[in-house]
Amino acid sequence: MTRVAAPKLLLVLALALAAVYLFPLYWMYATSLKGASEIFANPPTFWPREPDFSIFPATWERRTMDTFLWNSLVIATGVTTLTVLLGTGCAYVLARYRNPWIDIGLFAILMLQVLPASVMITPLYVGFNQIGLLDYPRTAVIIAAAGKSIPFYIVLVRATFMSVPSELEEAALVDGNSRWGAFFFIVLPLARNGILVLAILTFMQAFGEYIYSKSIITTQSLQPASVGLSGFLGPNSTDWNGIMAYAAMYVTPIILVFVILQRRIVSGLTSGALK
Amino acid sequence: MSAQPQIELVGIDKHYGSFHALKNIDLVIPKGQFVALVGPSGCGKSTLLRSIAGLESITGGTMKIAGAVMNGVPPRKRDVAMVFQSYALYPHMTVEQNLTYSLRLKRVPRAEAKKAADEVAKTIGLQQLMHRYPRELSGGQRQRVAMGRAIIRNPKAFLFDEPLSNLDAALRVHMRKEIRALHDRLGATSVYVTHDQIEAMTMADHVVVMRDGVIEQQGSPLELYDTPATRFVAGFIGSPAMNFIPGTIAADGQHVTLEIEGVAALPIGRNLEPGRRVTVGLRPEHIEATPGTSGQIVLPVSVVESTGSLTYLTTDGAPELTVVITGRSDIRSKDTVGLTIAPERVHIFDAETERAL
Repeated sequence: MTRVAAPKLLLVLALALAAVYLFPLYWMYATSLKGASEIFANPPTFWPREPDFSIFPATWERRTMDTFLWNSLVIATGVTTLTVLLGTGCAYVLARYRNPWIDIGLFAILMLQVLPASVMITPLYVGFNQIGLLDYPRTAVIIAAAGKSIPFYIVLVRATFMSVPSELEEAALVDGNSRWGAFFFIVLPLARNGILVLAILTFMQAFGEYIYSKSIITTQSLQPASVGLSGFLGPNSTDWNGIMAYAAMYVTPIILVFVILQRRIVSGLTSGALK
Repeated sequence: MSAQPQIELVGIDKHYGSFHALKNIDLVIPKGQFVALVGPSGCGKSTLLRSIAGLESITGGTMKIAGAVMNGVPPRKRDVAMVFQSYALYPHMTVEQNLTYSLRLKRVPRAEAKKAADEVAKTIGLQQLMHRYPRELSGGQRQRVAMGRAIIRNPKAFLFDEPLSNLDAALRVHMRKEIRALHDRLGATSVYVTHDQIEAMTMADHVVVMRDGVIEQQGSPLELYDTPATRFVAGFIGSPAMNFIPGTIAADGQHVTLEIEGVAALPIGRNLEPGRRVTVGLRPEHIEATPGTSGQIVLPVSVVESTGSLTYLTTDGAPELTVVITGRSDIRSKDTVGLTIAPERVHIFDAETERAL
């Protein structure tokens, strides 16, 4: 193998792997445009013979997607706000102070991340029920999901804060700023990229949150789109193009955000590691 | 120079948990003086500077700046400026914004701040760089911005934390002079931390040598050079470092017997208790070397190094001695030299306490 051939070969390999990963996504879009009989055609058609775009408005109407997506938006916004507000301060403290208690705290936070949502839901449900939080199911989901996303957020934002030299803060203190001022006007602007990227990732994750919403929210008009989609699926469901149209409308905004911001997201995730 | 103290430290103590970082530091810095804190790393010099800035709290003692007690006062209310080793320029601000940051915090009107920034930029030669970001500047330029940020505030004291250690040798020598000239022009009070004794000797009016959290000795640079109070100060000040030879005071009390074989007793020009165990200190530049066997100490030479203006001889044997000769020398390695030293140039330290006798 020559030196020139190696990068080309790797490129081909990367494209092949990407095709495998992205195929379900393509299949979702393709299936949503197919007619009922074409979906079950054997062998399957790779390109819809008669693309029917009317499935999108029809599904939107029939499944009250505006309500579902609105609920998803409310929950994702709530989770992101709570995570950024609580997680940023916590990450900063964990980045700046070093003592055994901080190490214990960091370890506890990492442990929290290990626990899966499906294990957490039972105790959370019982607890929420006892304090009456189940009467506000979306708030309950926001709190539960934020608890799940904060550890991830803290660990990565902490790395961002650690890449901001503490001498800059000290210079600001000597220059006449207060502790709070130095944090808000020197440290935060320099950590802005990392915080922004993690806020977006948190938002996207919360937008697709399922387990807590499914278990806690029983009123259909308060359920997010993820739960709405699962209600669509039944043991005898045949409405595959409707399901695919629903899924397409649900994930397309997230995919668009990711594509638009991907350059920033990648650089933000590595900014703590590389200096 | 007025005698009014600008910074006054009385019995300063600092503990980090069980570690005693500063031990009973007393230091008075008159207004307009340039004071250097020197010592090996970990001696507490940076901790002391950061305590003056208010970045570290002190555990005991009294700290006064311009007559006001500063214990527990936050940095922003101390009116001191600090230049950091890494410069600590705000990366998201231009040079001008960096310079005027402290003024903006004080709510100085925009036009006035700009005028002050222009003036400072002229003083330190930054006019062309006002709209650049720190990442677009060279090391020397960043250093200047860091200086400018301190100057613009007209503070009660300037604190420097090894500001030149990131520059190359030539620029360091240049900035040394520039900082000192700036200090004189502004009539400022400066405290300068360095581990480089040459920087301390050349720049400061008053040098404070620290070791393990205590002040070993303080005084003018030449006082420290001529009359070091301890063996540590003697070894730290002066380059190349002083030669140390173990010895014993002879029976007459006016000579010292060196622990080098076949060497006669050296006259010491003072009267000490006979039989006392001591360490003898000889500065390389105070030893006269002549080829041949005439001299107080006769030893073979192992290495000869010449810089053109100076020649360094290293003798064979233990302990090896370094000798500096001004100009060139005919002495070659393996030759035998006779070394002579004037009695008043012989430093004697107690072997136990390491204090000068």
